[in-house]
Amino acid sequence: MLERRKAPVEMLRYGIILIVLLWTVFPIAWLILTSFKPANDIMVTPPRFLFKPTLDNYIHAIARSNFALFIGNTLYVSLLSTFIVIILASLAAYSFARYNVGGGNLLFFILTTKMMPAIAVVLPFFLIFRDIGATPIGEALGIGLDKRGALVISYTIFNLPFAIWLMVSFFQDISRELEESARLNGYNRLQVLWKVVLPLAAPGIAVTAIFCLIFAWNEFLFAYILTRDAARTITVGVESFFTLRGILWGPVAAAATISVVPMLIFVLVLQRYMVRGLTFGAVRG
Amino acid sequence: MPSTSMSAPQDSRAEPKKQRRAMSDTWFSVLLILPAMIIIAFFALYPLFYAINVSFRLADLTHGGIQGFVGLENYRTVLFDKFFWQSVGTTLFFTVFAVAIEVILGIFVAFLINGATVAKGLIRSLLILPLATAPAVTGLFWRYLYDTQFGLYNYFLKLAGLPQPNWLGDIDVALWAVIIFDVWLWMPFVALIVLAGLQALPKEPFEAAELDGAPYFRVLRKLTFPMLKPVLFLVIVLRTIDALRLYDAVAVLTRGGPGSTTETMTYYLYRQGLVFFRMDYASTMALLFLYAVVVAALFALRPLLNMFSARAGAR
Amino acid sequence: MKRNFKLLVFILLLASMLLTSCAQPTQAPVEEPAAEEPAAATGECKDEDRVPIAWSTIEGFYTIAMTELVADFEATHCVKVQVVGIDNSQLYDKQVIEMVGKTGAYDVVNLETAEKAEFAENGFILPFDDYIKAHPEVDYADVAPILADMTTQYKGKIWGLPYYTYTAGYFGRCDLFEDPTEQAAFKEKYGYDLAIPTTWQQHRDISEFFTRKTGDMLKGEPLTKDFYGTGLQAGRFQEIQDELSAFLWSYGGDWLKDDGTVDVENITKALKWYIDLLPFAPPNALTVNYNGVMDSMQDGQIAQTVGFFLDQWPNAVNTEKTVPGAKMCNAEAPENKAYIGGFLMAVSAASKHPNEAMDFVAYISGKEAQSKFSLMGGTTTRMSILTDPEITSEANRTKTGHFATLVKVFESMKDTRSNLFYTPFGAKIYNTLGPTLQAAAAGEKTAEQAVLDLAVEVEKICDGPCPINK
Repeated sequence: MLERRKAPVEMLRYGIILIVLLWTVFPIAWLILTSFKPANDIMVTPPRFLFKPTLDNYIHAIARSNFALFIGNTLYVSLLSTFIVIILASLAAYSFARYNVGGGNLLFFILTTKMMPAIAVVLPFFLIFRDIGATPIGEALGIGLDKRGALVISYTIFNLPFAIWLMVSFFQDISRELEESARLNGYNRLQVLWKVVLPLAAPGIAVTAIFCLIFAWNEFLFAYILTRDAARTITVGVESFFTLRGILWGPVAAAATISVVPMLIFVLVLQRYMVRGLTFGAVRG
Repeated sequence: MPSTSMSAPQDSRAEPKKQRRAMSDTWFSVLLILPAMIIIAFFALYPLFYAINVSFRLADLTHGGIQGFVGLENYRTVLFDKFFWQSVGTTLFFTVFAVAIEVILGIFVAFLINGATVAKGLIRSLLILPLATAPAVTGLFWRYLYDTQFGLYNYFLKLAGLPQPNWLGDIDVALWAVIIFDVWLWMPFVALIVLAGLQALPKEPFEAAELDGAPYFRVLRKLTFPMLKPVLFLVIVLRTIDALRLYDAVAVLTRGGPGSTTETMTYYLYRQGLVFFRMDYASTMALLFLYAVVVAALFALRPLLNMFSARAGAR
Repeated sequence: MKRNFKLLVFILLLASMLLTSCAQPTQAPVEEPAAEEPAAATGECKDEDRVPIAWSTIEGFYTIAMTELVADFEATHCVKVQVVGIDNSQLYDKQVIEMVGKTGAYDVVNLETAEKAEFAENGFILPFDDYIKAHPEVDYADVAPILADMTTQYKGKIWGLPYYTYTAGYFGRCDLFEDPTEQAAFKEKYGYDLAIPTTWQQHRDISEFFTRKTGDMLKGEPLTKDFYGTGLQAGRFQEIQDELSAFLWSYGGDWLKDDGTVDVENITKALKWYIDLLPFAPPNALTVNYNGVMDSMQDGQIAQTVGFFLDQWPNAVNTEKTVPGAKMCNAEAPENKAYIGGFLMAVSAASKHPNEAMDFVAYISGKEAQSKFSLMGGTTTRMSILTDPEITSEANRTKTGHFATLVKVFESMKDTRSNLFYTPFGAKIYNTLGPTLQAAAAGEKTAEQAVLDLAVEVEKICDGPCPINK
């Protein structure tokens, strides 16, 4: 089968792939295009493809609306929460994988915490962070309403169950012989984890990190409720272009384009791990 | 990578270590999960108990706040609310169709790419684009793209002489418009995962099958899909959980409209809880939802969990 | 491999911290009022001594205009005002949650007319009567009486001062009405002269008359795209209720009858009339609010509006720039009845600096600020400004061309007191009307069924008939 590659079949294959790619990329390409359009060329019929490009939308987005702050906040919150999640989840997942703490029940419980609709949980969170923010510890650590710490904690909690669940299977795929031989050679358990297991699980960790980042980056509801101004993130900040003069599509597009860039960088850097990572624990037996 | 120069311990430590080991294994395992569990316990259990508490009370935040017990009154109100059931139906319809289409198309695309020889890295990078832009933002753009007057989709359809539906204003079309958006967003995700699974398959069985002259579809049925089962299972579960909780796309594309045709459970919940501030209804609905999903998950995930326990227990 | 990733993470964390320390919160663009002379009143006011006040308001143009006015205020008061812009559809939720949590995060809030009763009833905001008595320069009597009543008064007390009004009138393409070819054709078909409609039947005739397909003639020229007789805000927003109010009140009906129950008969009648107009509006009417209608107008797709927010005049008049030959008119809505109301600026009960907050409210709604505001395109509620000959001169037509109409509307509607604005459940009802009625507009239900559903919903909300406290 591998040898019998007929040219027409191959052309068909690539043709379909091209169509899929076009379909996937088109809305984003249109978004980027719109970001360079002057305001009068956007809400018109028929749609305008030829126009004089301008940087006004970007200037508006950054200078007049604080978008740099929103991007900074989102970066900070996403990266930090993902970092914390990876550390905590690695430890916990290793424990579940090797020692099966609590049988499958504890693991199941952890997963179910993810199933609670966020809206019902948002008010208790609001109250918790209001109270923490009033304490000296809260002040010092920057945890409280309209503080980034609150979002970091919220996203950590959201991603933790999923990360643990995902990483359990990665750890289970690492052959125990390596760990056993390391133990025999005198390493204690922590050292085995640090020096043997984690490097082997690096692809799995990368995959988990990507998903956690994507989630935190795109999250809306908690950012909406827990922030007002100083800690606003991109997803909430985009709404600041909905004005009484109408939706400013140009700056929205510019803001959206700017905010894709960091995510793209991440994904491009990490995507080569994705293949290896996703296969761990997914395909065996 | 484990270093090759591992120093041998002193033998004098071998025996007492073995005895300490049996006890501190449990301690060690518990210690490892402790930080995660503490955080989960506090921030997940507290809101859960809060919600349970509120669901048994009268709680209208803009009329008296959280008040006294009303027993099962809220449960009765919610279960008899026809809008609630309508939102459940909408959610289920959306979940079934969106997940089915995403998975089927995703698998198809994964197979296509797997057989390709060039530009795999570029293709993978392009496929991740929809997810890299926040749905709350791209959703806004899709609203603009779907517009009957200013949108590009109807413009192209008109050029091609095809009918131009009122994507977001037609009660029969709107939910499909949301489904299409969701497919656009997540089909690449499914494709990437399945692709990774395909690329990790061992080569030997396939080469053997080829030598035996087995036809393509037989190979697929007996070899490829069974070996891909765990990946497919993972992807279906992940997408289903997320589809059941669909909120962002609805909030941004249709706000639950036209009429109530795209009002999913979580959007209805949002309106009850954060627009009407009826925290009693919102909490009750959330708990009912949680209960339903947990029960469903118990059935669906049991095989997966058994798998986990078995592998962890096998020592 | 892994090390590179960690490096990347640290670099990005660093970048984000640098970015965030460079960017300031929203008010950064406000110039330090160092150049202002009238700082004499406060003497040397150092930045650290300034009392912080947060003002939650609708995001957008008005917020930008406001930063200039805020700077003037900061020049004469030792206060630092932070303007927090929030999208209109989220303003209510965000403000309530801060009130319920008693955080005092927003010292000054913006409330819709229908929300005022709820906030007052819950003790979320402070009464203003004493302040007004102590500060006659507020000149409360200058506010148009009908607006003063509806926007600021509840249960015998005054709860704040008006910020601006979105009272509705009518916008039309007068160039179409004045075109001889169109006039002749219209007279032939309908038997009377084409002009700005004064009854809903005329409005309907005009809508029907001007709904044409690509290739048909308009003003003697063939159309390059479909044209529609009227714009409608029939999306699942609150604004559909705003438009329906015009019809409803012209029948003598109201959302709530005096006994607190839903006026099923009149609302059904209004809804049916509204649905009947949908074929004469662009298909996307079912997905839009005022943004969409203004976009359609400026793109030359519609001939007129129904009862529409007069404060959008600066947007509507822009059509004269975007559509060659267009001339925009504003007028009272047909039957002289349309949605009326405004935004109230109130002080939160949990505010830590209520005195300064009240000063700020008084300033923004005061004559000086409102005059500037009007010249920037805002719509004031102060009669003295609405009738000021210089402000309403022809030179300022693109900003204040609707003021004369607004004055007429206030006069016509001076006895209208919709029960909806005087019930403590007003906000909830207001948020129910949109989704429930839009279901009929979208064809999901019949008008009768939708209104019956509404009656059931409202009864649930009020737990019986709704109390009306006029």
